[in-house]
Amino acid sequence: MGYNLLDALNVRVVGSGDRYLVLAHGFGTDQSVWQRILPLFTPSYRIILYDLVCAGSVNPDYFDFTRYTTLDPYVDDLFNILKALGVDRCAYVGHSVSAMIGILASIRRPQLFSKLILIGASPRCVFFTVELVLGILIELYGWDIKNAKLWFSRFLNDEDYHGGFEQGEIEKVFSAMEANYEAWVNGFAPLAVGADVPTAVREFSRTLFNMRPDISLFVSRTVFNSDLRGVLGLVRVPCCVIQTSRDVSVPASVADYFRTHLGGRTTVEILRTEGHLPHLTAPALLSQVIRRALSR
Amino acid sequence: MPTSVTAARQFLTEETASALDEAVAVARRRSHAQTTSLHAVSALLSLPSSTLREACTRARSSAYPSRLQFRALELSVGVSLDRLPSSKSDEDPPISNSLMAAIKRSQASQRRHPESYHLQQLHSSNNSNAIATGCSQAQAILKVELKYLILSILDDPIVSRVFGEAGFRSCDIKLALVRPPVTQVSSRFSRAHCPPIFLCNLTDSVSGRVGYNLLFPGQEDGVDENCKRISEVMAKNSGKSPLLVGVCAIEALRAFTESLTKGKSGILDGDLAGLIVISIEKEINEIVNEGNEEKMGLKLKEVEATLEKCNGSGGGGVVLHFGDLKGLIFDGALGDFVSPLVLRLASLMEVYRRRLWLMGAVDSVEIYRKFCDKFPNVEKDWDLQLLPITSSKSSFDGAYPKSSLMRSFVPFGGLFPTPSDLKSPLSGWNQSIPRCNLCNEKYEQEVDALKKAGSAVSVADQYSENLPSWLRMAAVDTGKGEDVAKTKAGESMLSAKVFGLQKKWNDICQRVHCTPTFTKSDINPSMSQVPIVKGPQFSMDQKQTSNGDLSINESLFPNQSPGRQIHMQTNFLPKSTPSISCTSEGRNMNFHSVLHVDVPSVTQQTDKDVPWFHHPQQSLSSCSGRTPSSFVPPVTTDLKLGTIYASTTQESKTTKSLNHREHLQRFSGSVSTEFDANSEVTSYQFAQSSSCSVPSSGEQFDLGDYKSIKKALAEKVGWQDEAVNSVSQAVSQVRHKYRSFRGINCKGDNWLTFLGPDRVGKKRIASALADVLFGSQECLVSLDLSSQGKLGHPNSIFECKELNRHDEMSRGKTVSDLIAEELRKKPHSVVFLENVDKADYGVQHSLDLAIRTGKFPDSHGREISINNMVLITTSSSITKGNVNVICGNKDVKFPERRILGAKNWQMQILVGSASDDAGKSNYMGVRVTTVKEASTFTSANKRKTRNAVESSELEKTDTGEREHKVPRSCLDLNFPVEEADEEDMGLGLSKSESSESSENWWEELFSQVYKKIHFKPFDFDEVADKIVKEISSQCQRTVGTEVALEIDEEVMVQMLAAAWLSDKKEAIEDWVAEVLGRSLAEAGQKYNLTPQSVLKLVAYKGDVVKEQAPGIRLPAKINLN
Repeated sequence: MGYNLLDALNVRVVGSGDRYLVLAHGFGTDQSVWQRILPLFTPSYRIILYDLVCAGSVNPDYFDFTRYTTLDPYVDDLFNILKALGVDRCAYVGHSVSAMIGILASIRRPQLFSKLILIGASPRCVFFTVELVLGILIELYGWDIKNAKLWFSRFLNDEDYHGGFEQGEIEKVFSAMEANYEAWVNGFAPLAVGADVPTAVREFSRTLFNMRPDISLFVSRTVFNSDLRGVLGLVRVPCCVIQTSRDVSVPASVADYFRTHLGGRTTVEILRTEGHLPHLTAPALLSQVIRRALSR
Repeated sequence: MPTSVTAARQFLTEETASALDEAVAVARRRSHAQTTSLHAVSALLSLPSSTLREACTRARSSAYPSRLQFRALELSVGVSLDRLPSSKSDEDPPISNSLMAAIKRSQASQRRHPESYHLQQLHSSNNSNAIATGCSQAQAILKVELKYLILSILDDPIVSRVFGEAGFRSCDIKLALVRPPVTQVSSRFSRAHCPPIFLCNLTDSVSGRVGYNLLFPGQEDGVDENCKRISEVMAKNSGKSPLLVGVCAIEALRAFTESLTKGKSGILDGDLAGLIVISIEKEINEIVNEGNEEKMGLKLKEVEATLEKCNGSGGGGVVLHFGDLKGLIFDGALGDFVSPLVLRLASLMEVYRRRLWLMGAVDSVEIYRKFCDKFPNVEKDWDLQLLPITSSKSSFDGAYPKSSLMRSFVPFGGLFPTPSDLKSPLSGWNQSIPRCNLCNEKYEQEVDALKKAGSAVSVADQYSENLPSWLRMAAVDTGKGEDVAKTKAGESMLSAKVFGLQKKWNDICQRVHCTPTFTKSDINPSMSQVPIVKGPQFSMDQKQTSNGDLSINESLFPNQSPGRQIHMQTNFLPKSTPSISCTSEGRNMNFHSVLHVDVPSVTQQTDKDVPWFHHPQQSLSSCSGRTPSSFVPPVTTDLKLGTIYASTTQESKTTKSLNHREHLQRFSGSVSTEFDANSEVTSYQFAQSSSCSVPSSGEQFDLGDYKSIKKALAEKVGWQDEAVNSVSQAVSQVRHKYRSFRGINCKGDNWLTFLGPDRVGKKRIASALADVLFGSQECLVSLDLSSQGKLGHPNSIFECKELNRHDEMSRGKTVSDLIAEELRKKPHSVVFLENVDKADYGVQHSLDLAIRTGKFPDSHGREISINNMVLITTSSSITKGNVNVICGNKDVKFPERRILGAKNWQMQILVGSASDDAGKSNYMGVRVTTVKEASTFTSANKRKTRNAVESSELEKTDTGEREHKVPRSCLDLNFPVEEADEEDMGLGLSKSESSESSENWWEELFSQVYKKIHFKPFDFDEVADKIVKEISSQCQRTVGTEVALEIDEEVMVQMLAAAWLSDKKEAIEDWVAEVLGRSLAEAGQKYNLTPQSVLKLVAYKGDVVKEQAPGIRLPAKINLN
């Protein structure tokens, strides 16, 4: 790879305990997003934190546009990290994209994972990415929401697009946006964070903006083109799907979909809060649930 | 949230800051709203000794005159800048997010590259412009150097596109920036071999690559990730046969086999080079569908032969690809041909291991499992390895240049898309209402002007489009598509504008020159828009428009309230969205605005001080001549609960009907006969509305007088005599007080509290008050504070529409903000806050302040004066002194809580013979049954049992309890861990505590209000008895006395809820007579009813009422089974 992976992806191991716990952040954030979750787990776990290669905190030079065209290279990164650290079994907490990565990783090497905890996951990441891409367009490039929508619908009608979106789904996203118009005007970050937590909004905006725009669009395209339906049955590792009761990006039905389709023993936890980033907005609540899920 | 220039400057070195100042100056000159990366590029290029320009010089191809290429670059930057929206402002345009993000990124990358300082210093002598270094390191804030800023800006897709248009690759420029120009000569030499990429002489493939590389620097032709994984599986020591799993698996399989057949290099290397792909997909299909095994046999022989050859030569192999596994699962009707095939393949695998690979794809694991169930050994025999495929992108090269993800990153300066089909339905209608000559002329003038302007725009557009397109040819081939799309957008915008103009002049014409329009026969179509059938169509129109532009919508329907009466019928459509009423209002508006000057506007024009103490009538007379053109419509934003009462709006204000009548009479002489025909329609509606408003309209506006208020209120809510009494007393007292001591403002005087049950009654009184005090029921802000954070009951009869409206609106806002927003919209209104006892803390706080200071604060600290409002808070709970009122009557058959849970189900009549106890008890008539136990508890035969309800009531109590919980605010950051814990585990404890504290709170609040008014429970039992009687007599009339009718209790609840909600007193009786009677008669005809047969009226669960009967929220027809 030509560079030290652990350095490049800012891998950190904190805490004292005999079990390993991987905290993998989602799209638009970096490992700092777990800051508020950490204290609860450091006494009993050795926590592995790392940044996805697309995160803003990673040197963008490391992002190889030829390599990261699907989610599998991200899985490889994860394996490489765990190998370098000499980890042979761990629990894995993944948010949004990382949840997808975790699912794929557990399919490829089931013995490596004792438990998967998926936060704000979606088998297709449909909603989050649509909104994220539009959010980037609107917020980062100062686009008008209408321009963004027009651009987006053209993108979907493109013959090269094979993401398996049906027009109806897009319409749903759009009409949700329409209804949320005022919230959108105020920016994507507050919307994704979902609650009036200014610090969380600021934090998310910071990490979101740290991403190089071309990289963030490239990655969202990758996620767009990903579809985990059909392979979920291959997961054998026990899973816990955590979802907030209201998440712009993930419709409530997704949890049920996971429950019925994931191959392993699966539990679903609904957090009584809103937003796509419960680790920023409701860390106490989330920690509770994660701890409970880990102990099962 | 753009950043101010000064804030941004502090991150920059002096040199960079001056460059930024240049950029800001560029933005200011063009009067743009923000300073973007493009401005920065423009500034950087124009700097006297420009690093960027210099880097470009080195990066560009020498085969082309540099002057020309730079000219192209300037043009393309200029064109892009032209597209940005401009705005007038005296201040410096702030730094846009994208530029600020670039600054931050460059800061980060500078931090990562401390070693390059050294490098720069080494070469700074070579660089004509010395880059400031070193000094910045020492300072606390890492100041961004120009070079890094330029590098970051080049990452911006907009910028790299602009460079691309001029034939520069931003990656080359970056390289040139990073690498000092030591080997200039040689690099130039080498570059000379490259063709100038922005010339039109490029082949597609090259241009593809160029475009691609422009966007993603450093990218080479990549091997598709999926293919790589597949080959990994095949190449592993064991050489497994990959079975691709996933939704995109089949596509990936196709891509892989195709590239194998094409012999593309790089996909399979080493041992796997030179594999031959043989597909048996078609043959399998033939076997399964036609039982034709012949071809398969031949094919497999061919495979064997090939394999033999490979064995002999010692290299190569065969990939046998069977396509979708589904094909093998599906059993043909012709018998089992699959099992022999599976075995045959297995034996082939056995023989030619390491030479033969099977390959296939399957949609999902489940299907594969099914396959395995059928052929348990197949995984081993075929040597299969499952490979999850999650990405559909089969190949990135070739696809990327066309990638629309990166396409058109440049905003369409100022253009906004409007649905192009917008005009078709609406404009067609529009033309049916002609304007008078004068207005028409003006309208046409304006359209002409607009068209000229429009064409100017489009010319400019073409110009701007043409310019870059010759430059662009070499780059991304998006030009065309964009052009077309733009023209479309332009067109549709034009048509939208024309449409708006039509609308405007129609309105003006009809308002100002009413009579000429009126006599035209065209009023006919406009009237015929009213019937229900048209509703859905309208809603679609509305949706289209709303997709386009919100502002257009508003201007389309500037005059909402007058239309109310006529279109209200559409509200009975169960699924009607708010937009229906909106649209039809818009349509009817023209007609109505002629008829009368609408009252709310009058109210608005009156003294702003304390308008509700004036008589609307007084001001009416003074203002009646004025056109309400400047009038901003009082948008009904009934939140959540408001939906329940949509039908109440049907009771129109008496003023209105009065006005209508007067005007009608006045006009009737002058208008044509056609209008008379129409007036029938109108009068029908008037009849409907007047039945629920005061019959003699002259008396009603005898306001200020307690009696008249009382009368107006009692008309709406006949059953709450005492409450009506107290409300009217309170209002007239306060009014009097204000009149005698003007200026004295006792806080809390304009506050009332409604306590006790009867939710509908309370709401109705509030809306009646709004009508009386402010002249319109629209002047009501209604919000249910308990509904925060919990979902409404699906299919409830109380919310046929706008189910989620509240949810959508409240996203990202606190309840206080929501209230404040509504208050701001309607400064003169009755504010109706339901269930204040369940308000969250923020609202409690706001209300506390509001009652003490007369100003309602929102969460941002802004305050809204509420002195011109009447605030009504309600609570269904009983205050401590009031306990006995409700607890007095314990055995209520139908408590309100149960009625509130009523669903809006379709009803159904079932015919059964002698159910359960009907054998023993030979009684006839009507009775109400619960579903579980058929015990009768109320009937026309005066048999009364009460325990039947109890079980279901218990259930209800449970849900009621849950609703009681104080809605938690969503901010969890401030919640300590323990608290969250408690929430999770000890629900009971925390709940009781919190509810106690909130109880204290609202009791305190209630003590400050002017008057507390207690409401009696609505006597559902009485109504139930009445209904049963009514039905029973109806039943006897239609199907005879010997047939018994059982009414499911749920239906009973539904009927009661409907009766409660309905405005007409006799609505339920009418419904029984018409709808139920008709259905019973039909049932009587359809079935041979014997004395033993029992008709059952049950709710058809899961099927929501599609068509409602007029005047009541009950189905317009009942299904027969």
